[in-house]
Amino acid sequence: MKHVVFLVDMNAFFISCEMTRNPTLKGKPAAVAGDPIKRTGIILAANYEARALGIKTTMLLNEARKLCPELLVVPPDHDFYEIKSAEVMALLHEFTPIVEQNSIDEAWLDMTGTEGLLGQPVVAAQAIMATINQRLDLWCSIGISDNKFLAKMASEMKKPQGITELWPTDVPTKLWPLPVGAMYGVGRKSAEKMNRLGIMTAGDLAKLNPDYLISLFGKGGDAIYQHAHGRDVLPVVSRLHDSVKSIGRAITLAENVSDIKKAKLVLMQLADEVARTARKQGVIAKTVQITLKYTDFVTVTRQSAVLATQNTYDIYQVGCKLLDANWSIDKPIRLIGISLTNFAKPGSEQLQPQQLSLFDQPEQSKMVMRQKQVDLAMDSIRNRYGQDSVKRASLLHKDTDN
Amino acid sequence: MKFICSRDRLMEAISIVQKSVGVRSPLPILDGILVEADQGVKLTGYDMETSIECLVEADVPIKGSIVINARMFGDIIRKLPDEIVSIETSDNLSVQIECGSTHFSIKGLRADDFPKIPEVSDEQQLHIRQSLLKEMIRQTIFAVSTDESRPVLNGCYLVSDGSAIEMVAIDGFRLALRRNEIGQNLPEMKFIVPGKALAEVGRILTANGEAMVDIYPSLNHIKFDIGSVKLISRLIQGDYMNYRGIIPQTAETTITVDPKTVLSAIERAVLVITSDDRRFPVRLSMTDDETLVVSANTDVGSLREELSVAMNGSKIDIDFNPKYFLDALKAIDEDEISIIFNGSMGPCVLRPIGNQDFAYLVLPLRR
Repeated sequence: MKHVVFLVDMNAFFISCEMTRNPTLKGKPAAVAGDPIKRTGIILAANYEARALGIKTTMLLNEARKLCPELLVVPPDHDFYEIKSAEVMALLHEFTPIVEQNSIDEAWLDMTGTEGLLGQPVVAAQAIMATINQRLDLWCSIGISDNKFLAKMASEMKKPQGITELWPTDVPTKLWPLPVGAMYGVGRKSAEKMNRLGIMTAGDLAKLNPDYLISLFGKGGDAIYQHAHGRDVLPVVSRLHDSVKSIGRAITLAENVSDIKKAKLVLMQLADEVARTARKQGVIAKTVQITLKYTDFVTVTRQSAVLATQNTYDIYQVGCKLLDANWSIDKPIRLIGISLTNFAKPGSEQLQPQQLSLFDQPEQSKMVMRQKQVDLAMDSIRNRYGQDSVKRASLLHKDTDN
Repeated sequence: MKFICSRDRLMEAISIVQKSVGVRSPLPILDGILVEADQGVKLTGYDMETSIECLVEADVPIKGSIVINARMFGDIIRKLPDEIVSIETSDNLSVQIECGSTHFSIKGLRADDFPKIPEVSDEQQLHIRQSLLKEMIRQTIFAVSTDESRPVLNGCYLVSDGSAIEMVAIDGFRLALRRNEIGQNLPEMKFIVPGKALAEVGRILTANGEAMVDIYPSLNHIKFDIGSVKLISRLIQGDYMNYRGIIPQTAETTITVDPKTVLSAIERAVLVITSDDRRFPVRLSMTDDETLVVSANTDVGSLREELSVAMNGSKIDIDFNPKYFLDALKAIDEDEISIIFNGSMGPCVLRPIGNQDFAYLVLPLRR
């Protein structure tokens, strides 16, 4: 049976979500950007009216304002987008049971064998697009092929509201003229490296010896070669809840921070959020990572292995250690983030019980128990009375400066 | 030098002395055994930490000395065909080993180059039964730490307080303590003997009879005089942990049980714990006042076993590293012990009933 894979990509997702609950944004240039009152303006999503004026994602807000002084700006509300995203995914599940969510606003659908029910792929895609529009007031583009890579490439070819087919037979005419950087899975760095070696287009890649690509890019080199020929063996896999790979939060600070104490306060708040998410999802992390972005936009990540934990205070402590080790007073930061990775499920064999030691600080073990109890108590209060009903005392005065 | 002796006696001596000989040391001489023929024959090994010397009865027509590579010496003597061995050196440091119609010629090293063995004065001494010292070592040495970041714990602490001697080993997670009232006037002393040397002493000591051992400590070294064998070891310098303060006087739960039943239950539990790391605990829990449940649950299988016990206090549910429990239970000869628990995070203490000479403390695993 012929494989049929769709990639459904929600157009200008964040701003479209905002437009569903605020019709005044419709028909005018509008964008979601980091809190416009605070200085942190990066365009997260612009609607097509704004894009027509040259406003792009990741553009600084004040640059965008130069292009379009009357731009309507909405602060991001990620919780709302998550809800909308879940609605989209639920809707997609009505068309096929095999939905692989790739990000908040896109998903692959394995449509193989649905033709009897839904008609030709293009007809099915039109049905999906129309349903999303009628029910959720959102727009999407859909790429159609027989594998994930080509479906993704197809979805990029016509936006917004495009339905594009890209079958393996179309590869020489439609894929090969594209620059290598436009290929899904080829990052900016890899594209630069290829260009330096005279590999400019997907067609150039397809002509190369796959072993040469492997020598350049390791295992990924083979995938790149296969992609250049329009092949992708990876199946569409419904992602289960437990396949979460990491939990992270990062915020752009209201002002550049060179005082480590201030950074630690922010870190405490972020650690609290990620730890709470970890506890909600029942995962225990063995690696804690922090991300720092300096004022020159150079970003560093540093990580540390930890004894498996989901405890706010533990995570905060590790984050502080990493921060101490990577802090320099003459390099203020504009963004700070913390994330948990390398999960062990509770009760899994990866989870080592900890041998208590005679050298443990007196009361240390009891402290650990108490921290756990604090987490439990705070979780149950928040579950009942809301996220802001209780907070750590160290964060009490924080609202004023951030 | 020339001497004639029994192959078996010589082999026995070589295998004792070999324990204090280095392997591939920086200097070839340190891989050798010093052989000195005078009244009898004395073999000496010294790896700069521990020295062992052993006397072998021999007929010595020509006195003298030489150093022979320990490994080769042992391998040759072990393979000799007859019971009587003759060993003779010639001027150019070659060693002739003759046995029946077998004739070996090997190269030796100059005896003068062998490092000097530390001198230990005979001023102070402890004079105790070999069987007692052997038992004290057996009951504590397994808890000696191998973690080199805390050197004082790499040895057993040996204390004499005038009327009793105590031996203690701590590895940070557990403590083994053996005390023995001697009654007679003992010199007061305390020192830390490296676990490695003490293990050799334990092997050399005899478990039977009334044979005695003399222990001579000095500032930096200690000498064990065990009949025909003398062992000198470096002492570990530093202050030992205050072990008295570690053993709790409290008891949240006390169980009385035959240690052998617990031992075999945990041995069975270990059968489903394939890896020897600390990943999988053995769980001790109670369903009622008379039943101790030993259980283990791993990715290959599980065990659950119920033991009848007498219990006092609150019910327990605690995880332990099974090895730490097995080591202690194997060291106990009595038929009844009390196991005292102090909650799921507090130390657990094992003591034989009616014998306060032995105590073992182990910390649980935190879940």
